[in-house]
Amino acid sequence: MSTRDPFDLQQKPKTRAAAPRGAATKKRNGAIGAEAARIAVVLRGIAEGNYDGRVDAETIEDPGLRAIAEAVNGAASATEADLRQAHQRVQIVTAGVDEAIEAMIRLVIQGDLSGSARPGSTDAALTPLIAGIGQVMETLKKFVTETREAALQLSTRSAEVLAAATQNESSTSAQASAIHETTATMEELKGASHQIAENAQMVAAIAEQTLSGAKQGEGAIKAFMGSMEKVRHNAVEVDDAIAKLSKRVERIGTVVEVIDEIADRSDLLALNAALEGAKAGEAGRGFSIVAAEMRRLAENVLESTKEIKNLITEIREATHAAKEASDGNKREASEGEKLGGNAMASVSGILSGIQETSDAARVIHLATQQQRTATEQVVQSMSEIEEVTRQAQAGSKQATGAAAELTKLAERLAELVKRFKVE
Amino acid sequence: MTGPTSELVLFQVGARTFAAVVHDAVRIGSVRDVPADELVLETALGAPSARARGIVVASHDDAVERTLVVDQVLGTRSVPEEHVHPLPAFAAVCLTSGAVTGFVLLEGDPLLLVDLPTLVRERATEAIA
Repeated sequence: MSTRDPFDLQQKPKTRAAAPRGAATKKRNGAIGAEAARIAVVLRGIAEGNYDGRVDAETIEDPGLRAIAEAVNGAASATEADLRQAHQRVQIVTAGVDEAIEAMIRLVIQGDLSGSARPGSTDAALTPLIAGIGQVMETLKKFVTETREAALQLSTRSAEVLAAATQNESSTSAQASAIHETTATMEELKGASHQIAENAQMVAAIAEQTLSGAKQGEGAIKAFMGSMEKVRHNAVEVDDAIAKLSKRVERIGTVVEVIDEIADRSDLLALNAALEGAKAGEAGRGFSIVAAEMRRLAENVLESTKEIKNLITEIREATHAAKEASDGNKREASEGEKLGGNAMASVSGILSGIQETSDAARVIHLATQQQRTATEQVVQSMSEIEEVTRQAQAGSKQATGAAAELTKLAERLAELVKRFKVE
Repeated sequence: MTGPTSELVLFQVGARTFAAVVHDAVRIGSVRDVPADELVLETALGAPSARARGIVVASHDDAVERTLVVDQVLGTRSVPEEHVHPLPAFAAVCLTSGAVTGFVLLEGDPLLLVDLPTLVRERATEAIA
């Protein structure tokens, strides 16, 4: 951008000033330059908004410059007049605007939007402003009307929101209390579930031990039945042996009877021999002694056979008792086998039942473990829900407070909006 | 034993032991082998219980042998005659049976001395009566 002053004639190119003229010309040019400078001073003042300056045209010799000076003076005067007129108009318009704004502010402050803000000035320049203000007033009236309706609805809705928030807070509190109780119950359930799982494990272990014991019992009963079979078999063998012994004893008895008979006859013979010896007197003395000795032997044999008979009788009684004991053993063994069979059937049933019990206990143990895990997960979830509910409760309280505040604000807004009169 | 002796046969009826002269006994036998009608069971000496032996006695008059059933025949003994005593008169009067003729002291104990043929005959007479 050039800073060159367009009115500074002295700044004209030196090529012009340096043209070879005469002294008069040089003097004349100097006078013109001074006059031009005077015009430039006035023009510079106009340019700076000073329209009061004038060029004394009468004192300018150069006709061209004089005409310019007169034109500058005329332009300055005309501009000054225009400015004055424009200033007056601006003052009028400003006053009208101020009046309109004041009227609008007064209406707004008073809240009466039913009227219109019409300034006293009828300047055409104010027409758009008045129209705009009217439009603004209409818009404001419409806005106030809508705001009033909205405030009314807001008040109603905020009351509803407050009621709902209060209800929600109450429900949330009840829910939090219920969840807390549920969490406590679930904690107890968790403990109970843990206890049940341990008990189920214990039951499963006991069932396993019982199963093992029952299997050992089954083995013991089998061994018992084997022993009973052996006892019965041995009893049969003992019975056979007793029968053989009885026959032998009977045979011995027969032989002893024969011996006894022989001994009795020997005794009888000895008696008769002694009798005959005694009848023979002194001659039969030796015969009598031999007979007496024979008789003693026979009596010894009889005594022995008597003892043998007593022994045989005792053996018969013992054999009979042994036979009865053997028969009793056979009966007891048979009864034992029957009882063993019954016990075996019972133990088989018990084994089956214990096996089912063991399986069921194992299933229960597994189920209770799963239940414990599920319960722990539920407890964890309930804790999280409780925490969330606590947060929701706090939020609900905040919402209730906010709703109450909102209700107050809505009421306040309604009160404020009521101040504006739109009809 | 240097003096004269009496040869006696000793037998038991019931719990009592009696003595008889060996010549009164033909033999000693078994009761089982003798017919029942020839047996003399109950006499003035009593009734035997064991009935183990029979003393065959010969009757003086009819020569019929009778078997006196006794419980036991203990054997024969040689007894000095001074140990054989006749039955006192008072005792003989008191006794209803004539078969008891005296008593014998055997090792200090008195045993009734019985006349076996008389005893058998008395029993036969009682049976007929």
